Amino acid sequence: MSPLLVAEGLGRDFAARGWFTRPRPVRAVADVSLSVARGEAIGLVGESGSGKSTLGRLLLGMLAPTSGRVLVDGQDLARLLPSDLRRLRRRMQLVFQDPYSSLDPRRRVGAQIGDGIAIHRLVPAAEREARVAALLAMVGLEAAHGARYPHEFSGGQRQRIGIARALATGPDLLVADEPVSALDVSVQAQVLRLLADLRARLGLGLLFISHDLAVVRSLCDRVMVLYLGRVMEEGPAAEVLRAPHHPYTRALLSAVPSLDPQHRRQRILLAGEPPSPADPPSGCVFRTRCPWVLPACATAVPPLRPVGDGHRSACIRSDIGEAGPLVAQRLHDNTTRQHEQERAE
Amino acid sequence: MRTLRLGPVVGVAAIALVAVAVPVLPLSNPTAMDIMHRLAPPSAAHWLGQDGYGRDVLSRLLWGARSSLGVAVAAAGLACVIGTGLGLIGGYLGRGAEFLTMRSMDIVLCFPPLVLALLVITLLGPGTATLIPLLALVYLPGFVRVAYAGVLSVRNQNYVEAMRVLGAGRARIMLRTILPNIGGPILVQFSLAIAAAILLESGLSFLGLGVVPPAPSWGGMIAAARATMAQAPLLLLWPCLALSGTVLLFNALCDAVRDAVDPQRVPRRRGAARVLDALAPGLVAAGGPVLDLCGLTIEIDTPAGTVCPVRDVSLQVHSGEILAVVGESGSGKSLSGLALMGLLPPAARVAAGAAWIEGQEVLRLDEAALRRIRGRRVAMIFQDPHHSLDPVHRIGAQVAEAIRAHRPVSARAARSQAVELLRQVGISDPERRAAAFPHELSGGMLQRVMIAIGIANGPRLLIADEVTTALDVTIQAQVIALLADLRRARGMGLLLITHNLALVSEVADRIAVMYAGEIVEQGSAAALLARPLHPYTQALLRSAPGEDGSLPEAIQGTVPSPQARPAGCAFAPRCTYRRPDCETAPPPLVDAGGEHLTRCIRWYEVAASVRSAETVA
Repeated sequence: MSPLLVAEGLGRDFAARGWFTRPRPVRAVADVSLSVARGEAIGLVGESGSGKSTLGRLLLGMLAPTSGRVLVDGQDLARLLPSDLRRLRRRMQLVFQDPYSSLDPRRRVGAQIGDGIAIHRLVPAAEREARVAALLAMVGLEAAHGARYPHEFSGGQRQRIGIARALATGPDLLVADEPVSALDVSVQAQVLRLLADLRARLGLGLLFISHDLAVVRSLCDRVMVLYLGRVMEEGPAAEVLRAPHHPYTRALLSAVPSLDPQHRRQRILLAGEPPSPADPPSGCVFRTRCPWVLPACATAVPPLRPVGDGHRSACIRSDIGEAGPLVAQRLHDNTTRQHEQERAE
Repeated sequence: MRTLRLGPVVGVAAIALVAVAVPVLPLSNPTAMDIMHRLAPPSAAHWLGQDGYGRDVLSRLLWGARSSLGVAVAAAGLACVIGTGLGLIGGYLGRGAEFLTMRSMDIVLCFPPLVLALLVITLLGPGTATLIPLLALVYLPGFVRVAYAGVLSVRNQNYVEAMRVLGAGRARIMLRTILPNIGGPILVQFSLAIAAAILLESGLSFLGLGVVPPAPSWGGMIAAARATMAQAPLLLLWPCLALSGTVLLFNALCDAVRDAVDPQRVPRRRGAARVLDALAPGLVAAGGPVLDLCGLTIEIDTPAGTVCPVRDVSLQVHSGEILAVVGESGSGKSLSGLALMGLLPPAARVAAGAAWIEGQEVLRLDEAALRRIRGRRVAMIFQDPHHSLDPVHRIGAQVAEAIRAHRPVSARAARSQAVELLRQVGISDPERRAAAFPHELSGGMLQRVMIAIGIANGPRLLIADEVTTALDVTIQAQVIALLADLRRARGMGLLLITHNLALVSEVADRIAVMYAGEIVEQGSAAALLARPLHPYTQALLRSAPGEDGSLPEAIQGTVPSPQARPAGCAFAPRCTYRRPDCETAPPPLVDAGGEHLTRCIRWYEVAASVRSAETVA
């Protein structure tokens, strides 16, 4: 089956402008390639500043890439006329992170869900109400809820409304940008189950953006780990999360809190914060926080190399995957300071 | 749409009706002179008397309303439509449009309105036809700027982006999404413009530059009455009353309309002072736990009646101990924390209960006494560090400020203590970072700064309300580890409020689970996680993503709102262990042994199900 969406060597720079400093491009996303097939769920994992939301917007054609291209059914988004792009939007929809700011506070939710139907004239106006009721039912709400305003709903219900609005145009691809991270854990489970169910029932392609590996693991077929706009590791979700080959994936995984005292992992506490995307470290961007860092890491950007079936990792060390169970490594601030000194020199 | 307040609507409608119906009313001719009866007092034929030329004052007043209102409404309406359109275009269509609309309005604003009016009237001559476009031009920049500012704040909202994702065109987004959301300020501007236009029109007519005499107008009437002020002072009163009454009514109408179109209007707060109803007197002796909270009940007055979002919550935190309070949003966990700090929102009040922090009762303290213990004995850290720090002060200065608020130390000593605190919370290179502004630091760093401020005066109790929710997973782990370390090093009590049971399970000594304003289970962390005795805790544990990658189990249904609490157990409608007797009376909090409390009458069944699940595994 041909993939629904293909991204090739996608990159996006933002111009950082200051009053007293030289303009310096901030590379939010660099050289990302991926494809999503119908009915496939891809997880994009990374912390804030990793470029995962920018990547989501690039794939939807909401932002123009600086390099590379996005193909939807073989059509390059950048070459489409604005009117054709608007028509294509019907097929790709976005679910937002914040269920509070993503709904128009001044309009009834039924009208907002009906917007997509009205814009693309999918059904006659007379049938629109019935269609909205069907969409509400699909996400587990009642038809009567359509007459209410967003503030009358809880966070989880609002997120369901956001999903219903995205489904209104009958999309083939859903980009979900941190759809559960603003919700309580107990409500997260409801929304995750809904997404999994919709994907199975409607054959949706799903691009699931999250910083939470545990959530991604339960929902996605493949996972792609981003750090500072670069792909660190990608592969089948079960494989990557069982035996991560990249130090960053290991650290992320070890940070997921566990309820089960017997399964409690040793934490790899990463020292410091991610470096600024305006001033990334040379070579491997993760080396300043990496517990396994080598001198050679600073010299060249490590390429993505295969480490298993469809599993690739951008680390020059090949012994990370064999490190066995996650071990406790408390990193000193030394490496961060080293980097700062280097920069000062 | 809420119901519109009736008073202003009726008032403005009456004025408008009179203005429209003046030609068919049985009034005498407003320009017919009767010099014989000049300045005659009110009579049966002339209710408000006659003016300096013997003309009927009532008739002139009503005809004047017609001209004043006509000019003002037409001018304000014209300015509103054109201005809002220009503001939308300037704000949403990009830089070129923005430059053209905003700079042209700047040019209009360069002329003082009165000078502009005099200039145009001198060139074109007085009269209604000149006045309307002139007043519209004068009030145009206000509308453009209000609309433009509204668009700027709305255009980056997620719901506008959502419309773009749906494939909506620009016109649709501007008219259907942005316009309703900036409607409130524009309506207010419209009311101000009508009122101001009535005044400016009257002023110009007063000067003889507006409505040309002998045609009646309020300004003209005031000018004429001024000449005969000594003989007939009442003549001055009528047009002035009409003028100010109309302006006030328009303002009231627009307030009412704005409130009515806002779907999430907050009801006006009654100005009642905070009254503590029934507080238990101090019974507990000093020494003992750092925090001893007994039977806290909080009430909130809403238009639909009084609700009780927190009821009968009792907690203890000992020094060096971490108590995690876990619950979903709306469970009352944050309100409980705020009540301890005396920071409840004005609509909420403590209805019953008492809280001793190191033996001192805090719920009944006045504001001055609260300020002394806030930050010193008990400190609180909030969810969003970006909004908790002052953006215009350096972080070192903000930490030093917290120190000097409670201790008489020199600025220099406070500064060096601040740097030391920043080092203690794990900020590398604290000397340099102390000089940074909040926007220069990441969320994790800022939360560390908030923690430094929280521990600055060595509080005995630290309340951390969802401190990691806004942070990334790896940073969450850092911050929780830091809080646990600090608690150990300083021997303070830590009250961790969170919705994430997994997050606190590794560090908490004891856990209290809250649901719908009540504690449903409380016990040592190990016992509660291994052997949950309340169905809600069990469901919470199951709703966390599994270790094996399976989809988490959702809890069906939603938390009942405080207005619609079930009669019996609050969790009963969502509970799988439900029996008829669960729904008859609220269950008590019972001790299931080993200080493990549960608010479930079937806890032994819940415990048995855990045990059987273990044997199966």
